[in-house]
Amino acid sequence: MAKTSNYVPQDSPLDRMDPRAKIYAIFCLGIAAIIFPYYQFSYLIVIGLFIAAGIAKLLKKFTKFMLAFAIPILIMLIFIQGFYSPKNVTIIADCGFAKLGLEGVEYALKIVGSLLVFLGSFYLMTTTTYTGRLVAALVDSGMNMKVGYLVLACLNVVPQMQRRMLIIQEAQAARGVDTQGTFFSRLKAYIPLLGPVVMSSFTDAQERGMTLETRGFGVKNVKPTTFVEAKKRTSDRVVQILLVVFLVATIAATVFLKFA
Amino acid sequence: MKTEKVGFIGGIKEQFSTKSLVLIPIAVGINLIGGTLASALKLPLFLDMIGTIISAALAGPWVAALVGLLTNVFLALVSNPVYLPYSLVSIGCGLVTGYMIRGGMFKKVWGVVLTWLACTLLSVAISSTITVLVFGGATGATGTSVFTATLIAATKNIVKSVVATSMIENLVDRGIAFLIAYILLKRIPKRFMSQYSVEANFDDAEIDD
Amino acid sequence: MNDTILEVKDLSFRYRGAKRKAFQHISFDVRKGEFFCIVGANGSGKSTLCNALVGLIPFYFEGRMKGDVFINGKNTKESSIAELSSEIGLVFQNPFNQLSYTAGTVEEELAYGLGNKGIPREEMKKRVAKVAKMMRIDHIINKNPLELSGGQVQRVAFGSTFIMEPEILVLDECTTQLDPLGSEEIFDIVKDLNKNGITVIMVDHDMERVARCANRILVLEDGNQVAIDTPEKIFGNPDMVAHQIDVPDYVSICQELKNRGLFKGEVEVEEEPTIQAVKEALKV
Repeated sequence: MAKTSNYVPQDSPLDRMDPRAKIYAIFCLGIAAIIFPYYQFSYLIVIGLFIAAGIAKLLKKFTKFMLAFAIPILIMLIFIQGFYSPKNVTIIADCGFAKLGLEGVEYALKIVGSLLVFLGSFYLMTTTTYTGRLVAALVDSGMNMKVGYLVLACLNVVPQMQRRMLIIQEAQAARGVDTQGTFFSRLKAYIPLLGPVVMSSFTDAQERGMTLETRGFGVKNVKPTTFVEAKKRTSDRVVQILLVVFLVATIAATVFLKFA
Repeated sequence: MKTEKVGFIGGIKEQFSTKSLVLIPIAVGINLIGGTLASALKLPLFLDMIGTIISAALAGPWVAALVGLLTNVFLALVSNPVYLPYSLVSIGCGLVTGYMIRGGMFKKVWGVVLTWLACTLLSVAISSTITVLVFGGATGATGTSVFTATLIAATKNIVKSVVATSMIENLVDRGIAFLIAYILLKRIPKRFMSQYSVEANFDDAEIDD
Repeated sequence: MNDTILEVKDLSFRYRGAKRKAFQHISFDVRKGEFFCIVGANGSGKSTLCNALVGLIPFYFEGRMKGDVFINGKNTKESSIAELSSEIGLVFQNPFNQLSYTAGTVEEELAYGLGNKGIPREEMKKRVAKVAKMMRIDHIINKNPLELSGGQVQRVAFGSTFIMEPEILVLDECTTQLDPLGSEEIFDIVKDLNKNGITVIMVDHDMERVARCANRILVLEDGNQVAIDTPEKIFGNPDMVAHQIDVPDYVSICQELKNRGLFKGEVEVEEEPTIQAVKEALKV
């Protein structure tokens, strides 16, 4: 069965936290990592994220995700930037075919560090947040119901279409449509496989539109309500304030370091 | 009644009727299963903008742009967050395709070719910029990144290598995507097409008795 | 006594780009609490007519409409689909196209329409619990709607429609895609609702069922109104076969017995009286 989201229900403080506070975290931590001049700083934040993952009881999953992302990109970027960055002045190693420059390596570390902060906090948010609650929270903060519909509908419709596709794939394979063969024979098999899903989906679209309309979708001048509760607790507000304070402090420190 | 002036923003808002809105998740789905199918058939292609092209033809450029954005957001959510910055490429392609179809480009085959080329150039420009500026040249250990790295080792130039890789990749991929979308669009029943406002030249005469 | 709840006056509609009208010059009225059926062959305009009753025509489908629909004396043209949803609800064929695709659980799905209308959460919860019980889905309230069977989803669709508290339900072949068991379950619910005073307007292919339940039947052919009358009159009329209406087997049996001079009574549309007629013919 196709997965709709990364969400793993757990009894943890991160799971209970308001989704808006987590969105604050992604942006405040991410921006702080980008603007601060020393790359080491972003890795400190990454360590913080690992601690958060531990609190959320997701340490194993989180570590796997972070390593799977970090190692390949780090190797590629150290190769590309370390050996070939035009900024390289200080040579730290000579590998014969090219020279490894310190500036390039630091640049690679900086990029990977910032990406890890963004990706890690984003990943933590998606694994600890029920999407319905995220949308409810955003609707509560004044987001348009149409936007909420789009996010949730994509997450629900896509796996359903993937399942339908699989069924057709199996049926066509049974009928002997060539899915192995040369490039062109495989390309030729593409349309009879995709076509039926595309065609039937148009009737679906029309009928789903009817359903939304008869459920009062897009009514004007009404503040929509949600079944899923989305209330900010005091602790959520405190977390949000702390995150903003952290970002402001980082900006201040950056300015101080640049001009002093 | 139909000739009422709505202005640019009003025109964009008008594209987001319920009818178009429900098309969006489905077009995102077409994009994604198009991609999954390509890899299932072991085609060395993405083919992940067929839904964007179809939605552009039915519901206009801004709907198509949103389809592009949401496709990348979905990929970022369930597979790899690296897709997120590249949503700019998908948005750009949706807009270009949508406006060119509005300009009547899908009426003739050469128009489709022109749209394909425009879309390819735009994709190359935006995606290269993102690869270089956001990711420093590579996004991981994918085939594309390895190819880029080989080019960099040969040419000693990061930007040129990224652009060259992106050019080859996009030209073939977008070409086949446009071909397939065009074939599928021709098969959509008129009764369905006529419910969308883009092709407004349907006979709208009063009911006669 | 004026207890008309819905009135259709000389209604015609043509989809944009279509060469011919989906239906034309349709006029009828439905009384409060009535079980009203619409029958006709495929393409006779039944579904389009249903869409017009709930306001999807003229507000959702592009095309030209002539004539009026009145619900409780109010013209649907002056209302909106959302407003109409608390007076008249629609359930159609494909259960999976009647989900909002925004809900992770059945209870969220049921509450979706109430949320759009800004109903407070307390009231929402009350209505969800009530409707879930009524539709016999209270045991699956925390399940993901996309993982349910067609019959279960159709009951969720009924619930989501009914939670808006409409007085009229329009059912457009709402059991066609279900297995016999799922279909019967849905149908039991419909009968219960009708007993409790809900007006039902139903399109169905199962003529036995139509004959059994309908107070009156409207017959459509190629978009034209052919007849409107009680089941006995409609099915007892030999011309109906010419209008592509499948006559229930009971009617055919009675008719055949009559033709052979073995039965002298009125043509029957239900099981029990037909058995009596056969018994009479066989002289047992």
